[in-house]
Amino acid sequence: MKKYSLFMLIILLLTACGQSNNPNTQSIDFQHTSWSDITQKADSTTVNIHMWGGDEGINRYIDEWVAPKLKEQYNITLNRTPMDTQNILQKLHSEKRAGKQEGTIDVIWINGENFKNAKNNELLYRPFRDQLPNFKKYYDQESLAFQYDFGTAVDGYEAPWGKVQFVFQYNSNKIEEPPKSFEELKAWVKDNPGKFTYPNPDDFSGNAFLRHLLYQSADSPESIIEEPFSKQHATKHSQEMWSYLNEIEPHLWREGKHYPSTLSELDRLYSNGDVWMTMGYNEARAEHMIEDGVFPESTRSFVMESGSIGNTHFLAIPYNSPNKEGALTAINFLLSPNAQLKKLNPTYWGDNTPISIDKLSAEDQEKFQSLDRGKTVLPGKKLEESFLPEADSAYVEWLKENWKNEVIRND
Amino acid sequence: MMKTLRHKQIQFWVYISILFLFPVLFLLYKSFTLPMRYETHLHAHFTMQGWVTLFSENQLIQATFVSLGIGAIVVILNLIVGLTAGYALAFYDFKGKSLLEALILFPIIIPLLAITIGVHIAMIRLGIADTWVGVVLIHLVPTIPYAVKILRNGYTSLGTAILEQAYVLGPDPWQRFLSIDLPLLKPAIRSTIFLTFVISLSQYVITAIIGGGNVVTLALVFFPFLNSANSTVLAAFSIWFALLPFLFYILIELLFLLLPYQKPWRTRS
Amino acid sequence: MKSSGTTKIWLLLLPVFLFLLLPAYGLFSALWSSLIHQGSLSLQTYQELFQKETFWSSLFYSLRITFIATGVSLVIGLLLTRTFYPVINRLPGKLSVWLPMLFPHFVWGYIVLLLFEQSGLFSYMFHHLGIIESRESFPILTNDQNGIGMILTYIGKEVPFVVLMLLPVYVQKNHQYKDLVRTLGGGRWAAFKDAEWPWVSPILLESGVILFAFILSAYEVPYLLGATFPEMISILTYDWFYAGDWSERPLAFAAMISTSILIGIVSWGLYAITNRKRWLLTKGKR
Repeated sequence: MKKYSLFMLIILLLTACGQSNNPNTQSIDFQHTSWSDITQKADSTTVNIHMWGGDEGINRYIDEWVAPKLKEQYNITLNRTPMDTQNILQKLHSEKRAGKQEGTIDVIWINGENFKNAKNNELLYRPFRDQLPNFKKYYDQESLAFQYDFGTAVDGYEAPWGKVQFVFQYNSNKIEEPPKSFEELKAWVKDNPGKFTYPNPDDFSGNAFLRHLLYQSADSPESIIEEPFSKQHATKHSQEMWSYLNEIEPHLWREGKHYPSTLSELDRLYSNGDVWMTMGYNEARAEHMIEDGVFPESTRSFVMESGSIGNTHFLAIPYNSPNKEGALTAINFLLSPNAQLKKLNPTYWGDNTPISIDKLSAEDQEKFQSLDRGKTVLPGKKLEESFLPEADSAYVEWLKENWKNEVIRND
Repeated sequence: MMKTLRHKQIQFWVYISILFLFPVLFLLYKSFTLPMRYETHLHAHFTMQGWVTLFSENQLIQATFVSLGIGAIVVILNLIVGLTAGYALAFYDFKGKSLLEALILFPIIIPLLAITIGVHIAMIRLGIADTWVGVVLIHLVPTIPYAVKILRNGYTSLGTAILEQAYVLGPDPWQRFLSIDLPLLKPAIRSTIFLTFVISLSQYVITAIIGGGNVVTLALVFFPFLNSANSTVLAAFSIWFALLPFLFYILIELLFLLLPYQKPWRTRS
Repeated sequence: MKSSGTTKIWLLLLPVFLFLLLPAYGLFSALWSSLIHQGSLSLQTYQELFQKETFWSSLFYSLRITFIATGVSLVIGLLLTRTFYPVINRLPGKLSVWLPMLFPHFVWGYIVLLLFEQSGLFSYMFHHLGIIESRESFPILTNDQNGIGMILTYIGKEVPFVVLMLLPVYVQKNHQYKDLVRTLGGGRWAAFKDAEWPWVSPILLESGVILFAFILSAYEVPYLLGATFPEMISILTYDWFYAGDWSERPLAFAAMISTSILIGIVSWGLYAITNRKRWLLTKGKR
């Protein structure tokens, strides 16, 4: 009896194939559907947005501002679920392999390596960006920042939601004049042993720190950004970077025997006063940290004269979203000037907007320009001048692998 | 005799305070104060920010109940599997017993992530991914080994003699189980309930993948905040997280009070 | 002794067999993923894995940390239980011993960090008491290369588990055996060896196997408290697992499976030895 039931279960597990009760959601072609039809169909539906949930400001922006507005304006119930992008992709990947056509996620927040992975594994719904009225109206269609996401062609599979720039934070009580270049940083690190470190490049921000150095290490940033990735090219242009890192290592926090494994570890060190600088994407990140009492009041930010890398983050629709009309409507709303303005406001998130200010109405332009982002945020002009685009996402992986050999196992 | 017991009690509380109570109280203190600065003088900045953030998380209460519900079902299934298998392993000798015992440990040895990803596709095909059923099933993987081991040990230390005596009471095995096994096994059952509940509660990745975000447990709300440099918020979340198994435990203790043959066995020391 | 025969055994074991299907299915699909190399079945991935020096050094490092953490937890847990079990068995005692179990490993690790790091509470106290001059003079106890921070965390979390496993034995144990040994003129050691150890050792061993397996494959604590180098095997496999385009997954699966099989075989051997003993014990015929 036991053997029989075991056998049955195994057979069941192995043979039960894709429950094909799907109404073939994929075949709906929105390209020839008018926008008003789409919003009409989205009426009184639920949209599930899955996104990373570790920031209270971001969560509140979605829950307290976006969700009620969407309900009010489009009668859409927005349901936010906290979930890491990696896990979302894992779930979609398994669903794809199991042939599941009706999933549970309508909108995801994505960029960089994750986007490349999702696109290559065909986990995303077909190109939709250029249909969004708000994208067409308020965003620069030609902008390179929307054409490429870490070197991967966007092809309309995702719509720009926000943009961030990499800045350093420092304690102005301890440091009068922050370094302007990596050379000055090296000198400062040597003068102040133990007061600087950077996150392990396995961490997203630590990796970005290295990419800045890589740009510097190559003859010009363009030679990294514009040429396609190859190991030879990377090796050739990285020699200076490795020697720089090895040179500062003995003067780093704990003499470089341990590097913070995450940005939050570095932030905590900065908060405790172990180190006097921290860093990270989102030029406004210090605002919240000061408000919450994590960073000292005297925190200010700076960028290197050689430039600061910035990137755009996007919204996309999974291939098996059960409510694509709702997803489109919601994304279009999130791209609207109003939603972008609220997002920029430091009380919620403080995330910069990829919108083209000059395409807005005079009234809206005024609102954006008069918004005070806080005293730790560098002036918009300064940020714009120092902006550097991201390189191919293959560099991210390459740096992770090689850093351990060049810097860590070297001693 | 009394004196040594008293002495022992004091000694016990000293050890326990250092090892366990102090760290937890420190965490509680952290949840009400801003991160401290090393150089500044000893005084704490009181804040409610951690707890305000916690309760402004609008899925908190619902997620707490979901976790309680899933935990309760996981515990019940664990007791069923643990009591039957534990009984067989303790009182019978059979071929392949050692192998089976090692196999039962396997779910702890193999990283859960590997198991989950393999099982996920099967669950999608069976239509139980994205449902609480799937989440309950996957929570069995890291819990059952503990349940079987603890209950098996419970039975072993009872010895067969005591259960043989029970035969005198009558042939109804269910009656026997309720009136003899259950009260005697209480310490082991209590441990099983507590441990499996705690393990089920703290599963994040496997819940996220199998539940697909449709089943939002407390871990799903809590774990993203672990990656925060804000010790105040983290401490408040952690305390809330720890309160849940505590409440569950008290609930179970109340249930235990309803068991038959409570007194005679308890007082024996 | 029991006459009801094999049907009853199988009936009793049915639930656990049904359960085992779940991890078995997961294991086989992981095994499958590790054996597929460029579309065909091969051991290529394993060859590649075993040639990696990082794999071996990380494995040995992990084994060392795991042995220490397991051993210390067992010893402290045993001492606590046998000395204090009457106190622990009362409600306040039990609640306080089990307190750390209420927190996930990650949180306990975080507490260890807040207490023991160079700018943590202890360092802060010592500094303000004038014992140390600056935070740099406080010893490095977290994210250190000897794994002290990890071991401290595991002790805090696993000692309660060991107590939880051992407590029923001590509470239910027939204390007359001990008295008997003492009456017959045996000393304390003899009482321990003959009347206590035989009951305790299998459970201690089993707790040890569980802890060992758990600590070796756990990810959260090394993530928080491990050093950049050397790294625990779980961190290494996790990195491979999520690496960029998932191309290193077979390697991750292969590493997971190799270490699992290693622990599996060791624990099987240990069970085979102890089962004989335990069997006699249960029947009270030793």
